[in-house]
Amino acid sequence: MKTYITAAEVITALGADLAANVRAIEDGLSGVAERKDPRLSDSPVMAAVIPDETFACLAAQYGGADGKSGALTRTELLLAAVIGSIVSQTGIDMSSADTFIVFSSTKGNVSLLDPSSSNQDERAYLWEMGERVASRFGASGRFCVISNACISGVSALVVARRLILSGKYRKIVVAGCDTLSRFIVSGFASFRSLSGGVCRPYDSSRDGLNLGEAAGAVLLSDAFSKGAVVLSGGAISDDANHISGPSRTGDGLFFAMRNAMNEAGVTPDDISFLNMHGTATVYNDEMESKAVGLAGLSSVPVQSLKPYFGHTLGASGVVETVMSAVQLRKGTVWGTKGYETPGTPMPLNVSSASRRVSMKHCVKAASGFGGCNAAVVLSLPEYSSGTAGREEHPASESRPSASYRILRTVSLKDGRLARDGKTVFSSEATEFGEFARALYHEKGRADMKFFKMDSLCKLGYLAAGELLDGIEFEPEETAVVLSDSSSSMDSDLRHLETLSCCGEAAASPSVFVYTLPNVVAGEICIRHKIKGENTFFISREYEPDKLREYASMVLSRNGVRYCIVGWCEYLKGAYDAVFELLEADNR
Amino acid sequence: MTLYLNFLKPITDKMESQTENNRVYMENLNENLKKQLIEALNLEDITPADIDDNMPLFGETGLGLDSIDALEIILILERNYGIKVEKPKEGKEIFYSISTIADYIRKNTK
Repeated sequence: MKTYITAAEVITALGADLAANVRAIEDGLSGVAERKDPRLSDSPVMAAVIPDETFACLAAQYGGADGKSGALTRTELLLAAVIGSIVSQTGIDMSSADTFIVFSSTKGNVSLLDPSSSNQDERAYLWEMGERVASRFGASGRFCVISNACISGVSALVVARRLILSGKYRKIVVAGCDTLSRFIVSGFASFRSLSGGVCRPYDSSRDGLNLGEAAGAVLLSDAFSKGAVVLSGGAISDDANHISGPSRTGDGLFFAMRNAMNEAGVTPDDISFLNMHGTATVYNDEMESKAVGLAGLSSVPVQSLKPYFGHTLGASGVVETVMSAVQLRKGTVWGTKGYETPGTPMPLNVSSASRRVSMKHCVKAASGFGGCNAAVVLSLPEYSSGTAGREEHPASESRPSASYRILRTVSLKDGRLARDGKTVFSSEATEFGEFARALYHEKGRADMKFFKMDSLCKLGYLAAGELLDGIEFEPEETAVVLSDSSSSMDSDLRHLETLSCCGEAAASPSVFVYTLPNVVAGEICIRHKIKGENTFFISREYEPDKLREYASMVLSRNGVRYCIVGWCEYLKGAYDAVFELLEADNR
Repeated sequence: MTLYLNFLKPITDKMESQTENNRVYMENLNENLKKQLIEALNLEDITPADIDDNMPLFGETGLGLDSIDALEIILILERNYGIKVEKPKEGKEIFYSISTIADYIRKNTK
């Protein structure tokens, strides 16, 4: 069976639809410009911002952007617009039982959070954002939300592909979006990672990234239609090195690209071009060059689209995959605007000019905080291997899901740590900080990093420590699939408190780094040297059956033996973790 | 001591207050730096006595700080001492130990 991308739409600073974006890039335009906008920052910032007129236009179409009851927020409007476009292009029935939506976003409606309130607007929860958009299309409850830092969009494509291969759904809309706010701009500024000009990926003079806002959507289908490209492989990995610093070796990103190419049944010689993350920070681009070298792809044309769109966070993986599909069809690799002088330790085949290339397959890759990496392979249908058709699963292809057994269950709640239902540790002090500290010392750990973590990470770290106690594995044979309800809201509120009390310049990098839920998975990977898949879902409640079902798809991959699945929820002192260790059968 | 001064000085005396703060900080610079570091980096299990003036702050052998911590130290210097580290790359030598940070502060305080 194959999975096809049969329709696509994007809205970015460069244009309100796909055709406008393609024209703008071919005209060499950049969406990045100096913005003096209190929505973003007190001081001018270089960013790729969607014009207010676009929002006004969408609001007229989809019912208001002013945040009143029922009206959609900016983020929701963009999501509704790109999904609406897919629906009108293809005429699909979003309420059908074999249709589903996978959302990707890092911060959703974060600007609705109020640090001075004890009760947060429900729309600030990513699952509520998903519900509000999905219900507009009659798809209430028929969606999932992935929040996996800067790989979210590529992760969503990998997850959607697996869901289709498993036969669970026949059509999935993957929709990614992030909009900019003071929250995000001040955080990246505290990291000193914003460039004062238009970013220059891979160039020797690169000095940081530009933030951008965008939305993108694709329709993934098990049936071919004219003009479709094949999503022929996808994989996710973790560096197990550092939560914000890119790997020194590039091995994590290499694993993701290699595994995606293996799944697609292609070799480096088959790859026509690479669309990389290319944020233009010194260390990201350095790491990418090493990963591309390890993958044997140094001579393949490479591009980054960040100088056009900025870094659009949870949207970037979807938007840039759409643009990769367009280039694959056109036989053209667009230039990386602003590139002049090679500036990476390993050679990369970058050009500022557009190139004609004979196309077969391309790789889209991304990396993000938490040490996560993801890659997908897109193929022209005539070159993609495997068999078309829904019912066939030839032996040469990996099974869509594996049977497994639950080796161990750990829960951590109300001052009690339990393994398989039996209390392992309990404390009179149920307040999380004290309890976590007591448990940490009880376990005799000496990991300086523990006390620097936010509460969500401490919770996951302690639960995973018990779950994996005495279990040995190779780095790549273990995956981590977690979920929660409030994303990283506890740290989000701490970041916002600093902004409201002391101003943007006081934003703390050691708080901001934890404003992504998947960082807990990253901390677990560092502690236990896990380099397999990391995926973080946001749902209203713990849905163990759905997580196990997805884990069974992850476990069906060659070389994957264990998958940690779980719920890791922390908000304002309330904590609840349930972790399970799944082991694939038939080994 | 710092609290006492901040409490007494009216806001209009901000500049003077900062100078006065600096004087107090300078008298016990190393000790204050350690306290500020512990607070800003959430090093819960560490006391100032655990941090030797000359021990490396970064890397496996010393306190084990990382790149995010380096950004926090830049913030400490800006907020408490009014010193801007313009080139983050300089940070590596400046932030080697408590002593090297203290030297840098003395050199850059007018």
